[in-house]
Amino acid sequence: MFWKMVTGALRRQKSKRLMVALTVGLGVSLATAMLGVMFDVGDKVNQELKTYGANLTVIPRGASLAGDKYRFEGETEDASAGAEDAENYLPEDELYKIKMIFWAFNVVDFAPFLATRLTVGEGPEAREVVFNGTWFNKTLELPTGDKVTTGVMPLKSWWRLEGEPGSDDHFDGVMVGRNLAAELGLGLGSVFTAKDASGARRSMLTRGIIESGGDEDDEIFGTLAFAQAAAGLPGLAQKVEVSALTTPENDLARRAAADPESLSRLEWDAWYCTAYISSIAYQIEEALPGTRVKPVWRVAESEGAIMQKTQLLIVLLTVLTLLCSALAISNLVTANIMERSVEIGLMKALGASNLAVSLLILAETLLVAFLGGFVGYLAGLGLARFIGISVFGSQVVVKTVVIPLAVLMVLLVTLLGSLPALQAILKLKPTEVLHGR
Amino acid sequence: MGAKTALQGNRPFLFRMLASSLVRRRSRLLVALTGIAIGATVLLGLVTLCYDIPRQLSREFRSYGANLAFVPVGGALALDRGLLEKARAFLPQGELVGLTPFRYESVRSRMLPYTAVGTDFTEARKTSPFYRVEGAWPARPGEILVGGDVAERTGLGPGKTMPLDGRNSRRERYDQEFAVVGVVITGGVEDEFVFLSLSDMEAMTGEEGRVDLAEASLSAGKDELERIAGAIKAALPGVDARLVTQVTRSEETVLAKLTSLVYLVTAVVLTLTMICVATTMMTVVLERRREIGLKKALGADNRRVAREFLAEGLCLGIAGGLLGSALGLIFARVVSENVFGRALNPELFLIPLTVLVSALVTVVACLAPVRRAVDVEPALVLRGE
Repeated sequence: MFWKMVTGALRRQKSKRLMVALTVGLGVSLATAMLGVMFDVGDKVNQELKTYGANLTVIPRGASLAGDKYRFEGETEDASAGAEDAENYLPEDELYKIKMIFWAFNVVDFAPFLATRLTVGEGPEAREVVFNGTWFNKTLELPTGDKVTTGVMPLKSWWRLEGEPGSDDHFDGVMVGRNLAAELGLGLGSVFTAKDASGARRSMLTRGIIESGGDEDDEIFGTLAFAQAAAGLPGLAQKVEVSALTTPENDLARRAAADPESLSRLEWDAWYCTAYISSIAYQIEEALPGTRVKPVWRVAESEGAIMQKTQLLIVLLTVLTLLCSALAISNLVTANIMERSVEIGLMKALGASNLAVSLLILAETLLVAFLGGFVGYLAGLGLARFIGISVFGSQVVVKTVVIPLAVLMVLLVTLLGSLPALQAILKLKPTEVLHGR
Repeated sequence: MGAKTALQGNRPFLFRMLASSLVRRRSRLLVALTGIAIGATVLLGLVTLCYDIPRQLSREFRSYGANLAFVPVGGALALDRGLLEKARAFLPQGELVGLTPFRYESVRSRMLPYTAVGTDFTEARKTSPFYRVEGAWPARPGEILVGGDVAERTGLGPGKTMPLDGRNSRRERYDQEFAVVGVVITGGVEDEFVFLSLSDMEAMTGEEGRVDLAEASLSAGKDELERIAGAIKAALPGVDARLVTQVTRSEETVLAKLTSLVYLVTAVVLTLTMICVATTMMTVVLERRREIGLKKALGADNRRVAREFLAEGLCLGIAGGLLGSALGLIFARVVSENVFGRALNPELFLIPLTVLVSALVTVVACLAPVRRAVDVEPALVLRGE
């Protein structure tokens, strides 16, 4: 009898129930989409921020970074003196270990660099240029059997490239900085020669011209093998730039970065097993003994700040939107129940108890709400997907935790929306209601 | 004449009906008003945020450091400080976060060579917020910062002193003792430098006015930066203004994504909220079929009934829109203050726009059920189905 009445009411007052279902559906699809985006936006923004380049630099323990960016006519020359010792270099064939650390999955890309000076031109026209050897599309075979491909181009997403990027298969193919190419009169496909440190002549093929807006515009980028041959340093590199996905720093990470020894066992585990920039740096140092891994704070710190802001923004928007859609739903449910005063009056006049009437109305409303909610959930999945693809070009994966949240929302909102209206209506006298007030 | 009196007599009646309908049905009115106000809150709140977020985010992105660099052009080895002050005039003050000069000198300390950097610490903190300083930033003359690697190698730190000596361009010797107040760590070349204030460096070397490089941080997009750089290059022949492409290009990419994320989310939320408002209005109107039937039975024609409902909807829309606008401003303020720590300046023209949209949505939402209701036979409705 109870279910007959419920389904009967549903069938008879289709359009009114449809309104409830529609509103609940809209609210749930909004909730699903926003929650889906909320849980995923951190990862997505993290990926996007990789365009700022490497956030970790690996250098040999004895070496320094000076002289690799600002070089003022020999002024800082002596700061990097003593660079001839072999221990001031990194062995190329051990770099795969960067992909073997605990957080290997978070290492998006890395590339080694070896800079050497070449002399271009003859006699009084001669000038020194910096030649940087690196990896372009190096495929590494890990002991685990996995293969990874890594190279310099994703680390330098702000470069504008004309022609082709370098390739590890073309030993003498190079990319020339825009200013240098203009100065030397090089175009795509030009072949030119330069003298290396030992005085040997080496010829190179211009495969690409890069414009970076920085010092790279005056430099040459080629294969690591070529740089090693020109510098007479087989199998070695000077530094490695690493781009890794990280978790924004917190108190624990800052204490750990200052002194990992100061942590308790438990804190240490928590720190080691979280993708903080300092723990990734620590793990790379473990994997490559004799190195120093320096977080590039310009990139790392800004990344954290922007990720936190974006996440907070989306969380707040989600919460406020959920609140609004919850209010809208319960508002509609209230309206829907209030207009049924006549029906309820009739039931009461026929001897139904308050409890029976309440149960009936609630069961009906909840049934409709869940039907609408289910459709809304599916629509929300679609919406989240649409947002992910159109903004980030990749899908937003709606976490399963969203389902119980959506169910809970429907339940709570419908109940809370129904109860005050029910209470008000049950107080009415059947005679008055049936008489038409 | 007769038509005129009818019209005149009509107006007060319309208002009376309206007023009584609004008063009599207080609870239903409340439901409708709440629905509309929620819609308007979301509308104004989100649109205000949308207006503000790209600007706020662009400020956040300044944590990546300077996006415009001034370097000496052509053969010149250094910039003149006067020239830099002239270049400053080209930077829009409202968007300028900071302008930091840098001067580099080779110095020695206890026989070891170092690169000393003369800069303006107040500006450097603004243009390079990513500098991590252990200890304090120099505040008085004679105080310096040392880079993290220098500190590690030499054991220098806050509380220690560091003598610097060298020769200026006139080959005159200078030397002076400085107090180390902090260690700066960036993970870049700065870790190898010793930082002192530009005025200290000028006093020490006895050479004034020289600057090797200057960096400006502006909360402006790439196009505006290019325009500013072009204007400076054209007006001041001794200076080359360059965009720091790593920062500007990456910011362009990421900011575009974030902005479109916010826009898309806003569009989705707004559409759904407006449909919600419409369904609420429809429910409220639908249940009044009996009233419509009664009015028609009493001789009101379809247009009259429709007009009355639409006028009611319009009033509700305007009232809800105003209420929602006030709440929406609070909504936007809460988000802005919590996320960006800054109060936002609301665009006031959005308020009438919100009211207009609310009224429009309400009226349109009334239209469909009213049209269906007025087509109904009064007798059928009044009998109760």
